Amino acid sequence: MKPVIDLKLCKACNICVYICPKKCYSKGADLSEIGYFAAVVSAAEKCYNHNRDGKMICELCVLSCPDQAISWHPETEEEKRK
Amino acid sequence: MELFEFYRKDRWPHVFCPGCGIGTVMNCFYRAFNELELPLDKTAFIGGIGCSSRIPLYINSDALHTTHGRAIAFATGLRLAKPELKTVVFTGDGDLGAIGGNHFINGCRRNVDMTVICINNNIYGMTGGQASITTPHDYQSTTTPYGNKEYPFDLAEIAVAAGANYVARWTTRHVHELTRSLKAALQKKGFAFVEVVSQCPTNFGRRNKMADPTQMLEWFRQSSVRRDKTKAAEVDHVDLNLAGQITIGEFVDRNRECYEELIGVGKHG
Amino acid sequence: MRIAPGEYFLQGNEACVEGAIAADVRFFAGYPITPSTEIAEGLAHRLTGKDGVFLQMEDEIACISAIIGASWGGVKAMTATSGPGFSLMQEAIGYAAMSETPIVVVNVMRGGPSTGQPTRASQGDVMQTKYGSHGDYQVIAFAPASVQEMFDLTVDAFNYAEKYRVPSFLLSDAEVGHMRGLLTVPEAINVVERKEKGLRRPDEAYDVPDDLVHPFPVFGKGHKTMITGMTHTDKSKIEPEDVKVHQELVKRLSEKILRSRKDINKWELIAPGSKTMIISYGSAALGPKEIAAKDDRIGLLRLKSLWPLPEEPIYEAARQCDQILVCEMNLGMMYWPIKRIALEAGCKRIELLSKVGGEPPTPSEVRHKLREMGAI
Repeated sequence: MKPVIDLKLCKACNICVYICPKKCYSKGADLSEIGYFAAVVSAAEKCYNHNRDGKMICELCVLSCPDQAISWHPETEEEKRK
Repeated sequence: MELFEFYRKDRWPHVFCPGCGIGTVMNCFYRAFNELELPLDKTAFIGGIGCSSRIPLYINSDALHTTHGRAIAFATGLRLAKPELKTVVFTGDGDLGAIGGNHFINGCRRNVDMTVICINNNIYGMTGGQASITTPHDYQSTTTPYGNKEYPFDLAEIAVAAGANYVARWTTRHVHELTRSLKAALQKKGFAFVEVVSQCPTNFGRRNKMADPTQMLEWFRQSSVRRDKTKAAEVDHVDLNLAGQITIGEFVDRNRECYEELIGVGKHG
Repeated sequence: MRIAPGEYFLQGNEACVEGAIAADVRFFAGYPITPSTEIAEGLAHRLTGKDGVFLQMEDEIACISAIIGASWGGVKAMTATSGPGFSLMQEAIGYAAMSETPIVVVNVMRGGPSTGQPTRASQGDVMQTKYGSHGDYQVIAFAPASVQEMFDLTVDAFNYAEKYRVPSFLLSDAEVGHMRGLLTVPEAINVVERKEKGLRRPDEAYDVPDDLVHPFPVFGKGHKTMITGMTHTDKSKIEPEDVKVHQELVKRLSEKILRSRKDINKWELIAPGSKTMIISYGSAALGPKEIAAKDDRIGLLRLKSLWPLPEEPIYEAARQCDQILVCEMNLGMMYWPIKRIALEAGCKRIELLSKVGGEPPTPSEVRHKLREMGAI
């Protein structure tokens, strides 16, 4: 499973960037549709939940995100191989 | 139940500022509620006035958005009139501890079955950052431009003293622990109180050199001390809330008989 | 549980308790205050937990908040208080009006302002009942003048609160509340049940029916009801900034009561068409009633309901008489709206007999005033 940020909801508070113990997120540089420099998932493969077939380990980002912008999505085959 | 079955998707994005801790509490509450598989239609959500009291309006269930400070009194009436309903109160520090202080302590004392979640952001956020009863000593707000000369309330300790069945305090930095406590509170018979120390970067942090929400979360992390470890520490219990340290953990977990059992109202749980 | 039909010798406040039980009250929250305490004490005996809840709250604000909450649980709820407690309740009365919650508040009026005369009667809260909370709203208020009416009008207060989804008031006073007298309980009592929202159509509650009163969505029945004191649309979406939404909401809240004035208003007319009419209500009308019964030069219009203002009977009485004497136990509160209507009806002379201090005007005081007016 990999985290995905919903650009329609992210308000760029960067709590995910701070809280992720594996530094999967980084600050964004592009203005989103709703007018924020939304955070980006820069290193999804470092995530604790990577390659664990849906087994949730950490989830600090999903629980912390104040705007309900982060959710889990299954990886593609290529991403799984990494 | 998906997140946006629990919350009303059509009301999104919510009104809370970027980085506000209320959204975090909403995630944890949804998680706790969902894992317990409680029936949403048999749960009523009650809020007073303020930022945190807006949460019931986002939940896809019966919601009562009441007058300032009186949420617990409204919830008491609703719960006793319709005992098959579970009642959950969302409130803030000003709503619960200042204008609603009397209802809070008497709610704990009466011990009617309800879950009260207080999102304590140490400030009146919605009106623009005035000092509240939990603003730490010497911190800045719009009504304390020379620093707050009063000392803050310790809401969790008040709940313990007043007789609540379950009392816990966590911060928005402790999401897993908070979720666990919310689950315990939702399952508890009687008055269950969970205080969540939360960040208000817009109105509290900005005036206290912590404009970035992550700075506030880091402050919570550094100053949080587990309750069992604080027993030995030399802390002034009046001022232990934020200025020096934030005491976190489960404060009490007991099983005093709740009011509806004592007067024999309907069936329970 | 209901009192058996028959005749009883009771105190006014006890009759109010029996009236509430007859109207099927299931929730009472109270706080001790003279001279209304007997109502709380009586209901504490009757609502034992299984058949209804009696709750003594920490203050009057909590009392009214709790009964509003209970009302959303689908039961008939009531509180009883007096002047200072009534002042504390004002914010929540506005909330009940805005959220269209049926509740009954009994105010056994005592002398004010402030702590005033706890054991003495007054009619000083009649304007506060209608204008006490901020903003525009309408309420229903009744003014009993006997033990029998303490019973009958309590039932009516519940019935109209349910029918119109509005806070409804029983404006008794220390005199009527503590008066002892005969109560005749009839075989059949008309009790109006709440118009609950059904589950047939999800948006049913928000169709505006002819009478502007929407069906009541009880909590816990899957309606996903959202109740708020903020300006909201008919679909209960919060729109505090929307001019039109606020206009529509506030006008509907007023209109639903004002348009039903003829249905709500109650009054007693003695010797209509007399040259001099006394208009009075509550215990202040007891002296005038004695005079009007004996003296055919004097008529009496006794208002049993005060809000919405019974304009039609006042207009009709004023049209037919030469002069009006308004008799009340305050420095002139209902005098002004009555004077306005009387002037519209063409009556030129409208006098006031006001008596404060805790005693209703005696027949001799009323006669003295009438003599001054040249009526007798």
